[in-house]
Amino acid sequence: MTRPVAAARRREIRVAYLLLSPAVLLLLVVLGYPIGWEVWTSLTDLSPLKDGGAAFVGMENYRRFLSDGEFWRAATVTVVYAVVTSVAKVAIGVGFALLLARPFRGRALVFLAMFLPWAYPSSVSVIGWYWTLNPPISTAYSVFMGHIKQAVDGALGGGAWSFFSVTLFNVWRGSSFIGVLLLAGINAVPPELFECALLESKSAWRRFWMVTVPLLKPFLALAIFLSLTTAFVDLANVWMLTGGRIVFPVIGTQAYWLAIRGGQFGPASALSLMLVPFLLAVLLLLFRVFDAPERERA
Amino acid sequence: MNPRPWWKSLGHAGLLLVATVYCLFPIYFMLVQSLKTAQEDVFGNPLIVVNPTFENFAELFEREAEVRGFIGRTLRRSYPFLDWMENTLVVFAGSVGLTLVVSLLAAYALGRLRPPGFRWWRRVIFATYVIPHTILFVPLYQVVLALHLDDNLLALLLVYPTLALPFCVWILSAYFQHLPREVEEAALIEGAGRVRAFFSIILPMSWPVVVAAGIFTLGTIASDFTLASVFLLDAQNQTIPGGLGTMDVALDELLAVAGINLMAIPVVLICALFARSYVRGLTAAMIEGA
Repeated sequence: MTRPVAAARRREIRVAYLLLSPAVLLLLVVLGYPIGWEVWTSLTDLSPLKDGGAAFVGMENYRRFLSDGEFWRAATVTVVYAVVTSVAKVAIGVGFALLLARPFRGRALVFLAMFLPWAYPSSVSVIGWYWTLNPPISTAYSVFMGHIKQAVDGALGGGAWSFFSVTLFNVWRGSSFIGVLLLAGINAVPPELFECALLESKSAWRRFWMVTVPLLKPFLALAIFLSLTTAFVDLANVWMLTGGRIVFPVIGTQAYWLAIRGGQFGPASALSLMLVPFLLAVLLLLFRVFDAPERERA
Repeated sequence: MNPRPWWKSLGHAGLLLVATVYCLFPIYFMLVQSLKTAQEDVFGNPLIVVNPTFENFAELFEREAEVRGFIGRTLRRSYPFLDWMENTLVVFAGSVGLTLVVSLLAAYALGRLRPPGFRWWRRVIFATYVIPHTILFVPLYQVVLALHLDDNLLALLLVYPTLALPFCVWILSAYFQHLPREVEEAALIEGAGRVRAFFSIILPMSWPVVVAAGIFTLGTIASDFTLASVFLLDAQNQTIPGGLGTMDVALDELLAVAGINLMAIPVVLICALFARSYVRGLTAAMIEGA
């Protein structure tokens, strides 16, 4: 009796691997080889400007950065940028989701408005947004925006306003995505639970922390992780667009600069890999929240 | 529950208004901008358009490389915008289709067939999101060259699916995993194969989740600018984001904004059309705390 069952199970597992193979193959070709190349290169002094092959230098590239003040400045900006934008995105997103949680007239329209910043393709809107905040000299609002730009740049250093405008854009777009994700989360919670909570406590603030947040935890965790990893996409877009005319270095742009302008692939690879262990650690922590082990079925 | 006091309703309405303006203002601004004449762009009120015109849009479709006159001593040319639209359509439709097929296969394997360690397979696939894309395109270019896909739309069709695949596999497999066994068993007992059961029962059931995955994919690949401009060099081969990036915005600001709208409007319409399913799909996938 067990033998045919076991055979069927073995066949099932073979089919499973077969079905998995396109996805795995795609990821190996597009991400696997390049990340392997990057890890290897980070241990060498590969450079297209240098004659001869690359020499193995061990952890030298990493060591050099750790004692480099410029690196620590970039690392600080990177962490602050990622944390600030993520907190802002999650806060605004939670606000959106709570506003739309209960039915009211015109809810569908407000929802659509909230959905649009994410749906509006950022590859092109970032062009519009960037040039709106840093307009070409000819437009009617150039003088007005120019004043703001000069005030901010004067206070914080040249290029500060450009950096903030990208940050603003990233928050605008990210809060929309997180708002929709959390709204999907609220929809998954049976309304009775919120009604029970209403009887338990009069304070809306307390209800939010004691009921809403725990119920939305898996959605929040997923939102935070995606927000951390995508925080830099818009920045990269603007970086490409403006030829790097942004003054605040984050680790990503610094690595790009080293590789493309400096031709130093070794150090650039090391630099761009610096954040991976931290992101992995965050992800492993978050997995415990949004990929919890199977619970007892009710 | 008692009816809410009037000041609470008013506060709610006020917040809704603020949120709506916050979300829509940049989009409104770009739309208004694209409808302006150069005259009005320089001297008019930035917030409204008095004499709306479609000339910026029309200008985008002029014959390619035609001289459009001078600004000072700088020559202005027109761009192959029709080619860009066509390329964008091919790349986006192809990438979304490919992503969905590949993710559905993988998600079915992980969620229903559950090979040993399926949880970790899924986690590893999702963990590819931590890979920094900064200089990844250097080795990626080697791959593209080795496959003879440089300056070819197929390069983007290869790369784009990996941007959304981890998320799609995640939500689809989470949904499949939580479907009760009986769903398929009825069909299997009647002698239908797993393939038939998949197409006639599981796929129709999971429609909102598939839509959610598709919309997520569209939104993700539509936000890429870096890869499009790295892998497609020839003006004829570019997609709209890559192409717009080659414009000189200081000279062609209005034209670029018109191009932005031409790309954005179809994407936004598709997303708006499926917005409801998108939310329902996300809910369905994440329910049960997956």
